[in-house]
Amino acid sequence: MLELTRITAGYDRRAPVVRDVFLSVGYGEAVGLLGPSGCGKSTLAKVAALLHRPDAGTMTLDGTVVRGWRHRAPQEQRTAVGVVFQQPRLSADPRLSLRELIAQPLRSTGRRREVPARVAELAPLVGLSEELLERRPHAVSDGQLQRACLARALVLRPGLLICDEMTAMLDASTTAALVAVVETYRAESGAALLAVGHDRVLLERWCDRTVRWGERSVERVPVG
Amino acid sequence: MTADRETPVTPVLDVRDLSVRFRMRGGRDIAAVTDARFSVAPGECLALVGESGCGKSVLASALLGLLPANAETTGSAVLGGDTDLLTAGERTLARTVRGRRIGLVPQSPAAHLTPVRTVRAQLEETLRELTGVRGAAAVRDAAGEAAARASFPADHLDRYPHELSGGLAQRAATALALIGDAPLLLADEPTTGLDRDLVERTVDELRRHTDEGRALLIITHDLAAAERIADRVAVMYAGRIVEIAGSRPFFGAPGPRHPYAKGLLDALPERDFAPIPGMPPELGALPDGCAFAARCTRADARCTDERPAFEDALACHHGLTGRAHSLTKAAADA
Amino acid sequence: MADTALAHPGRTTRRVRVATSVTVVVAVALAVLIVPPLAQLDQQAVDLSNKLHPPSWAHPFGTDDVGRDLLLRCVYGLRVSLLVGLVAALTATVIGTAIGALAGSFGGWPDRVVMRIVDTLSSIPHLLLGIFIVAMFRPGVWPVIISVALTHWISTARIVRSEVLSLRSRPFIDAAVSGGASRVRVIVRHLLPGVLPQAGLAAVLMVPHAMWHESALSFLGLGLPAHQASLGNLVQSARGSLLAGDWWPTLFPGLFLIIPTLALAGLAGAWRDRINPRRKSELML
Repeated sequence: MLELTRITAGYDRRAPVVRDVFLSVGYGEAVGLLGPSGCGKSTLAKVAALLHRPDAGTMTLDGTVVRGWRHRAPQEQRTAVGVVFQQPRLSADPRLSLRELIAQPLRSTGRRREVPARVAELAPLVGLSEELLERRPHAVSDGQLQRACLARALVLRPGLLICDEMTAMLDASTTAALVAVVETYRAESGAALLAVGHDRVLLERWCDRTVRWGERSVERVPVG
Repeated sequence: MTADRETPVTPVLDVRDLSVRFRMRGGRDIAAVTDARFSVAPGECLALVGESGCGKSVLASALLGLLPANAETTGSAVLGGDTDLLTAGERTLARTVRGRRIGLVPQSPAAHLTPVRTVRAQLEETLRELTGVRGAAAVRDAAGEAAARASFPADHLDRYPHELSGGLAQRAATALALIGDAPLLLADEPTTGLDRDLVERTVDELRRHTDEGRALLIITHDLAAAERIADRVAVMYAGRIVEIAGSRPFFGAPGPRHPYAKGLLDALPERDFAPIPGMPPELGALPDGCAFAARCTRADARCTDERPAFEDALACHHGLTGRAHSLTKAAADA
Repeated sequence: MADTALAHPGRTTRRVRVATSVTVVVAVALAVLIVPPLAQLDQQAVDLSNKLHPPSWAHPFGTDDVGRDLLLRCVYGLRVSLLVGLVAALTATVIGTAIGALAGSFGGWPDRVVMRIVDTLSSIPHLLLGIFIVAMFRPGVWPVIISVALTHWISTARIVRSEVLSLRSRPFIDAAVSGGASRVRVIVRHLLPGVLPQAGLAAVLMVPHAMWHESALSFLGLGLPAHQASLGNLVQSARGSLLAGDWWPTLFPGLFLIIPTLALAGLAGAWRDRINPRRKSELML
């Protein structure tokens, strides 16, 4: 599904935070990427989500070589990857209700007619009530907002889901609930998962295999 | 061992029936904290655990006198047997309490440190403010000692906060918190966003400062960190403390007594990894009965009608009773 | 903490300030909108037997050097000045917001080019640039509006660009891009709504700015034609009589310029307090 080869990326060409990294995620596979904070794994996740152009390296997504990132990537390619970030507060447009938040990708892709049905389908899955859907981000808790962000990532039925520290700010019960939602979706759709995080116990329990971030660059780690 | 039994020593912090209400526009009321009751003794660590939005950070802010103007507090929180933090004025809190009698270990150390000054400059300033140390050379030496106490490497003292890793920034913040030699340390989510190794190191260092005779109140949603550091655990749900228990029986055998606490532990990836169904109630619209009843498998009519009192360190109609529980524990220990 | 402690005694004064500002703005709006059509008076009515009369019951603001009623002239002058100010501020805000938003959201070389132009333009004094623009046209309302708009969009562009830059790096923009949003959609749906309060604030503050700019041009004889009463024209034509010791023909137009300016600034201040994010932290959960 996803193949990253010799990826070098960062915010300053002279000091890349990701250097010569290999990473692959098979179809339907759940891979956990483990690393200490500030090691560049979030940057790698953004590269994989087509949100950050790497300085060097090649990336293949669903058998197609990626030629551009962000708006230079075709819409179908961008929407084939769903992303959930660490901080729900920053990943939600503060002016939108949770319902609108979840519906945004449908509206962006000209599928507004599907909004009522799709939101009605996803809301109970992530555990959001009708009343919560009408609220804006400032009126809900971190956990509730992250549920909405996960629903937004799933609304276009992506073939690959990237969760960047999705549960780092959340309590144990909400963490387990969100992981269960992801796994339900994967079981039904066969989607692949790249879960990025620093919690070894969590990722080992959640994923088929985990890859460890090395001292300066990720080496390929055998399956297991 | 009953969890909440009074220690013979005067507790460093004794909180009695502390409630915090936020008066919102439109006459709404938010019950952020209700009737919290606990104490922390010297050399003891109490971990206050619960999910985000359960009121634990509000409780910490109430203890430091940092609540916004629309908050109302009732009850008492007596520090060192003589100062009620809730009624002491801002002057008293600023001049004699914060930094001197309560050291704050912040949630995001990088944001807590002044970005344009070196760690040494900040340590020295705090030393001059909080201690009697005078003279450039003496202050410089004291800054080195303060850094060493928090295991902050001396060769990093002249760095600016953005040049420090997350772990070193946390140590710098801890060094600042320790300068006033406060008998109570208050750590608000000190491990958020840190990876496991760093969490363990941070927590072990905090534990070391506790073992030197300070009291530590750590507020966290990280149960693994709480297990590693705490002597006792207080579980907070929907603004109330629902259970206080010794850390060993709580995390080990026989386990927590409140169904919510049990659910929270079972949700850990190293255990069942199963979430508690549903979500906590709104603090602005709490039910009349037990706040957890809607999510509890053991709930009956009594739970929805009548709020369980916090007795014998537990607020539940159906939890295992303290006595039986202690016996089980004693049996397990024996 | 100090903020909340200070907020209480300050609250009443703030209310008074806002109420006064609103009253003045409403009064000004009524005066310029209703008086001219209702009062069937001719502001140009010349009465040479009554020239340079000090304020009296018949002429509360006195008369000018050809005996025209100054109150009426001031109201008409304010009408013209306000029109110029509003239209120019609106135009400048639209231009500034569009350029700032585009520069900020595209980044890279388009941003650099635009910001260099902005820097260059802002190094030339506004009035000089304005005079240059007016000089290219025949005197009239539109050249003045164009002159004001073309010199004032720069500050708005700067404000909007920096707001966009700070919003652009937020994960919610990443989420929108990942959800398939086009460039235009990201700008229109997610970036612009976030910067509009700031741009609106800048626009309100710009109205008096534009009025003063117009007055300055008119005072220099480069703005509106002399027969069209604007506040700047009124002061300009009364310059001579001031030297003779007649204070009213300059004082009242001056006050008409200053009082709405203060009122608009008061309103803008209240608005800024409203959109200040610190106010939203009342509930700290």
